Parts: sequence; C-alpha cells; structure tokens
Amino acid sequence: MKKYQRAIALLMIALVALPVFAGGGKEAAATAAGTPDDPVTIDLWFGASMTEAGMIPEDWVGYDIIRNELGIDLKLTMLPSSESDQDVKVQAAGAGNALPDLFQVRRPVLVNLVNQGLVADVTDCFDKMPVRTAQQYDEASKQNTTIDGRIYGFASPGMIVRNEGLLVRKDWLDNLGLEVPTTTEEFLEVARAFTFDDPDGNGIDDTYGYGAFVETDANLKGYPGSRLWPIMGAFGVEGLWCFDAPNQGLNIYKPEFYDFMVFLKEMCDEGIIDPNWLSYKKDDFRAAWKQGRFGMMYEQNAAYAAEANYAPFDKNFPDGEWQIIDAITGPEGHAAIGAYDMNYRIYAVSQKAVDAGKLDKICELLEWMSGDEGYYLLGWGQEGVNYVLDENGIPVAGDLGDNAFTGSKGQVYTQLRNMVFYNSDVELTSRYPTYTCAVSGKEMSALKALREMQGMKWTNAIGSSTLPTPSADVQRFYDQSLAEFLSGAKELTPENWAAFIDQFNKIGGKVWNDEGVAQLEAEGLVRQ
Amino acid sequence: MRKGKNGSSDAAVRLSDGTGERRHGRLYREVVRHRSVYLLVLLPLIYYIIFKYIPIWNAQIAFKNFRAVAGVSGSPWVGFDNFMEFFNSFYFWSLLRNTVMYSVGKLLISLPLSIILAIAIYECTRPVLRKVVQTLAYLPHFLSWVIMYGILLTLLAPGDGVFNDIVKMFGGTPVDFLSNTSTFPWVVLISDAWKEMGWSAIIFIAALMGIDVSLFEAAMVEGANSWQRVKYITLPAIAPVIVTVLILKLGTILDAGFNQIFMLYSPQVYGVADIIDTWVYRQGLLDFKFSLATAVGLFKGVFGMILVLFANWISRKVTDSSLF
Repeated sequence: MKKYQRAIALLMIALVALPVFAGGGKEAAATAAGTPDDPVTIDLWFGASMTEAGMIPEDWVGYDIIRNELGIDLKLTMLPSSESDQDVKVQAAGAGNALPDLFQVRRPVLVNLVNQGLVADVTDCFDKMPVRTAQQYDEASKQNTTIDGRIYGFASPGMIVRNEGLLVRKDWLDNLGLEVPTTTEEFLEVARAFTFDDPDGNGIDDTYGYGAFVETDANLKGYPGSRLWPIMGAFGVEGLWCFDAPNQGLNIYKPEFYDFMVFLKEMCDEGIIDPNWLSYKKDDFRAAWKQGRFGMMYEQNAAYAAEANYAPFDKNFPDGEWQIIDAITGPEGHAAIGAYDMNYRIYAVSQKAVDAGKLDKICELLEWMSGDEGYYLLGWGQEGVNYVLDENGIPVAGDLGDNAFTGSKGQVYTQLRNMVFYNSDVELTSRYPTYTCAVSGKEMSALKALREMQGMKWTNAIGSSTLPTPSADVQRFYDQSLAEFLSGAKELTPENWAAFIDQFNKIGGKVWNDEGVAQLEAEGLVRQ
Repeated sequence: MRKGKNGSSDAAVRLSDGTGERRHGRLYREVVRHRSVYLLVLLPLIYYIIFKYIPIWNAQIAFKNFRAVAGVSGSPWVGFDNFMEFFNSFYFWSLLRNTVMYSVGKLLISLPLSIILAIAIYECTRPVLRKVVQTLAYLPHFLSWVIMYGILLTLLAPGDGVFNDIVKMFGGTPVDFLSNTSTFPWVVLISDAWKEMGWSAIIFIAALMGIDVSLFEAAMVEGANSWQRVKYITLPAIAPVIVTVLILKLGTILDAGFNQIFMLYSPQVYGVADIIDTWVYRQGLLDFKFSLATAVGLFKGVFGMILVLFANWISRKVTDSSLF
C-alpha cells in the first residue's frame, strides 16, 4: 500500500515538475571547449530561402564541416514562412525566455525583445567578423538595428530593392492600337479599353484594366499597399511616410492622398480594376495574371520573369507579352513606381546565448559563412554535386539534374543562402539565368527585368522600417476606414474624409505621426 | 478471497486495526481491479494537469506587467491595468458585439442543423446512402480554413466566383461576399455550419443509437408517422444531450472561431469581422503584450464559467436536466 502511495506521489511530483525542465537544463555550452570533440551547441532559427522547399536534411555535409572546423554543433530550425507567424513564434519564445542563440527577426519584434532585455548588444562584434562586415554590414545596416545608440542585431542585405515594376500587356495594346500610358488620363483610357474592348479577342467579357491585391505593412507600404503604388506615385503619396519637407509625416495627411482615393474609387466604380482585388491573396493574384485576367499590374521581377513563374503564362498565351513601363505622371506632375527602403534581414543573438559564453563562437560561425567555403556551400551546395562553375566562374546547374541547386533534391541544401547572399553580381547572374521559353521560344531573363525595374523612377524611403508603428486599434482604424471608402461602405466626400482624419487623430493617429516626424527630424531623414 | 498482484489480501486488511487503513485497502483493490480503466484515464489526466492546471499558475501575469527576463513571479504587479486596457479599447464594444454575434449565430444555425442531420442519417433506411451522406458531411471538418478560404473564394469571388457567375447570368450585379459588411457575417456563419455540421452531428447520432428500438416499433404499430416519431420519441430522448451540448457551448461563447475569421477577414469588413481573439492576436501577441493577452483570456474564461453555471442552474430548474 505504501509503495503504491509512494508511486502515485512520485508520479504527481514528476508531472508538476515537468514544466520546470521544459526549457531544458543549464546549457552545457558554457563549459564546452568548442572543439570537434567537445563542440559548442548553437541553436539557429533561420528564415528559409525557399519556403516551398523542405528542411536541410540531417546528412548535410555542412554539419560535419562546421563541427570539425569551428567546433560548433549547429542545430537548425526553419521559421514559418509568413512574417506574422514568424513574429509569433519568436515572441512566444521570448516570453518564455527561451530564445535560440541566433535567430532571424523583424525589426518591430526586435524592438520588443530589446525592451524586454532578451537580445544581446552586438556593437563590439563587427571587428571580429572583418570579411562578413565588409560584405554585409555598412553604416546604414548598423543603423537599422541601432536602438538607443547600441546595435542589437546583424542586418544583412535582404530582398533586392526596387525589384518591382509596372507592367502592361503589350500584345493587348497592339491588338487595340494603343500606346503605352504615360499619364493618369492615358492610364485610365488603357484600363477602360482593356476592360471593355475585348483586348484578347476571345469574344468574352473576361478582362480588366488593372489587377492588384492588398499587400500592406505598418512601416513602408500602408493601406491599400504597394500594388497600387504606381497610381499613388502619380499623386505623390507612394509609401506610408513622406520624407519631403514641409510635408514630412504620414502621407495620409497630404491633400493628394484624398485625390488618389477619388481616382482609385472611380476605377473601382467603373469596374476597370479587377473586382476581386480586395479579396485576392498573393497567390490568387499571381494565378489571375497568368490566366490573362488583367492587362496592367505591379509585380516583382522574379515573380514575373523567373522561368518557373513565367511558364504558365507562356503556355496559356504564347503570343502574350508583358512590357515593363515607367511611372505614370499625375495631374500635378508627380510620378513614381513606388517607395523603397533597404530590405534588411536581421539576425539577433539572445542574451541567454551571451550569458552562456557563446557570442564569440556565433561571430566565428557568421564569419565562416561569409568566407569562400561557407559562402558557396550555403549559397549553392557542394561543387560537383549541387553546382558547377561556368567559364565565368558563375555557379550553374549544369547537368546535375535534380541534385543541382535549382533541382527539387538539391535546392534544400541552399535553404541558408539568405544568410550569406548580399546581392552580388555572381548571385544575381546565377539566380536569374537567361532562358528560352518552352512554348513561345522567347528569350527571358529575370535579371534583365530587375535591371529595367531598378532604372525606373523610385522614391527613396530608406529609414521607413525604423519609424514607429501604430497600436493595433489605430492600425485597424486606418486600414478599415480606407477600405470602407473604397468599397463604398462609407461615401468618399471631402466632409467624410475630414471626419475620418479627425477621428484618426483622436484615437492615436496624431501621436503616431508626431513620433514619426520627430524621429525623421532627429535622424536627419527629412529632405528639404 | 481475491489476492492483489503484490500479494496483499483482504485478510491482511482485516488484521490492521485502523478503519482508514481498511478504506485505503478497498481503494487499492478497486484501482487494481479496474486498472485498465485507470490506465485509460491516466493519459488525459496527465494532459489536463500539464496543459490545463499547471498553466493556471501563469495566469497571474494578467495582473502583472510581464517581463520575460524577470519571469512570471518576478514581474511587477499592475492590478487591473491590463483588463482596463482591454475594456477601454476603442473597439471594445464592437469586438464584444461581433464575438457574441458569431458565437450565438453559430449556435443558432449549426446546432439545429446538426440535430436535423443526425436525425436524417438515423432515419435513413438505405445503408449505402446513409454512409455516403455521413462521410460527405464529415469531410469538410478535416479541411483547414486555408483550404476553405480557397473554396469560398472560388464560389464567392465577385469577378469569377460561381455564385456571381449565376447572378450575372440572370442580369444581376455581382456581390463581393467576402468584402461586403452585409454579406460577410452570413459567409462566416454558413461556412462554419457547412464545415462543422457533420462532425457536430456525431454526438447526436450516438445519442440516437441509445434509444430503445421497441419505442419506435410500438409507435409504428400505433400508426405514428415519421414526423410524429421524431417529435414524440427521438427529440425527447436526445433532449438531455442537446442541453448538455448547449451548456458546454455557452462556456466558449467568447470563442467565435479565430482560425476562420483570421483567414476570411480583411480591413474592409473589420467592422463586422474583428473579434476578441483577432484583436488579441494583433494587440497582444504581435505587440508582445502577453499580460494583456492573458487578461483577455482570463476574462473570457471567467465569463464562460459564469454562463455555464447560470445555464446549468436554469436548465435544472426548467427541464430537470443538467450537466452537474
């Protein structure tokens, strides 16, 4: 009987004590020698370079190399692909004081974690990584992770900037005898013709002038988002923030924002913008242009021109052709394709890792990644297995089939490439090779598309990502009100607009704007 | 005399002179005798202890300004500040209204439909048809809301959705069901009913299986038609189960279905779509306000418990049937 009671008691104690050990015991790493026989464990949460591909396999040669050369036992965890899911995962780990040693994080989350004392100050680490610092961390990058004068993360160049553009179906223009639009008036004419004049000649009323979806954030884009930027640019309100004196602050306060809203509302009312645009998610939008639903859009270079992405359009419309065009000019002479900020990928070190004495090993790991061995291994895999070098020294797939870095088996070995890539010419040439379309036989290149897009009129909004973000209520009010004006739930009149701005100010919009303006001025970001 | 596995016996118990000892002995024997049942209970019990009871300790951060480094115990107390932040939120009443609207709406639509479906399946005399209907009705439950969103967009998109194609065929004006504040709540309620109706019917089908068949036979002999059998036998027989389900559902009245709303909503329908959980997601989790999120969770839990106790009391008074 006593045995039985003791067993139950022990079981209950064990159950109650379980959570105490849930976060793991004290890290052994603090005492690890950091040799191949006694490696330091580094837990790394990374953003996958290809979210649709799988995790790096257990047999990846990199694990052995890192252990043997650096004395590091690398533990990898792939973060969720969606930014908000990433944020939740990282913040949940933060709340439990269980952040990994090194992890990718977005700036707003980084600020939260720094405020909680969970992230390490890495201001003094750059000297320990001379190669990587020269490649990736310039002053602007360091500024991006600077909070109260100290640097709390390694901000690497992320997605290529100015890599999106305004595109128009040239074959539709030709069919209807139209010219490329250069002004808002011409833009409307073309959009109407694409909607009502059967530009594809199939005899069915199934096309629209412009296609979009709501792609927004609280730093750079703002509602209704970047897919409308070429139109917003014509009114000088592209981007969430205006950096130009004397209008520095949120673009929504500018009278031209109202003019833009009226313009867009007219497009909605006339039915010349795909009516699904408010419901589309990104994939729906991309499926729609490949099905020939609209003749003008704002799209990213690789999403438009990379071989796998362009193939369905090429198959559906072998005679179809998209043309990248420059920004359209608005009534006051404004024109911009969009606003751009530096897209940094931030990796932060947890305070826990520093307390466990791992900071030097983390720096060593990052430096190795940017050296020749790490750069090619993480970027393209093993030479001869996942890539070969062409006559210009550019890694290419060659005849390696599925094992190539572009193949279904090989691509998983490059999931860490975003930790080493810095948008060099080698990377871009390798990533965006020129190819011949399977059906139409056209020659295409996402790199050529990128260079064209980058050459258009863009508005510099560097620093947007560091500006304050609104509370959830203010954000909701902003997004919801604009959406209701566009959907017609709220009538778009000057009086209603003024009432909206007034209410926006009252619930915290003005405070948000004032904080942003103060920061813009303090950091010297205002353009005179 | 039956011996326990470890050699203990009733005789041994009789030798001891304490009544408490005898009681423990009986308990021990009962546990050993029904050990398979206790083993079955063990896993859920462990689950509940680890994931439901131990975390209650952490609920104290609802009254604290939670600092991860300081931990649950070390974070400073702030009284009811987090609750006040929620109650004083600009959208509090809108959030509460939407949450209750969807919860009650789902209850009013899904529950009767589940009961009707269960009765229809039970009454169906063709086994093949019954199995096909049952399977088809269960199927949507296993689809995630991501998939459901894709299906709904295909059906309801204003440009080329199936419904709007029909509307246009008859000369009507397309409706953006997912972006229109008038239609969005109906999309939520009906899609939820479609997805969960079959699954929810299982408990009622199980209850129907327990009805004495002789009652139906007797009714048929007396000339009762199908409707009369349902009205006078089936519904009264499963009434306690309906009451139980209703009471349990009241406990989660402030859970309006985060996954569904999160997938379906967009800024143009925030006014009728934003619920407490989506607000907590944006305000609490994305902004690292875990204390606020916990305070809201605690509020929902307490509110739900009060409703359950109240409904249980009412049910006992009115129908003589209650959960506890």
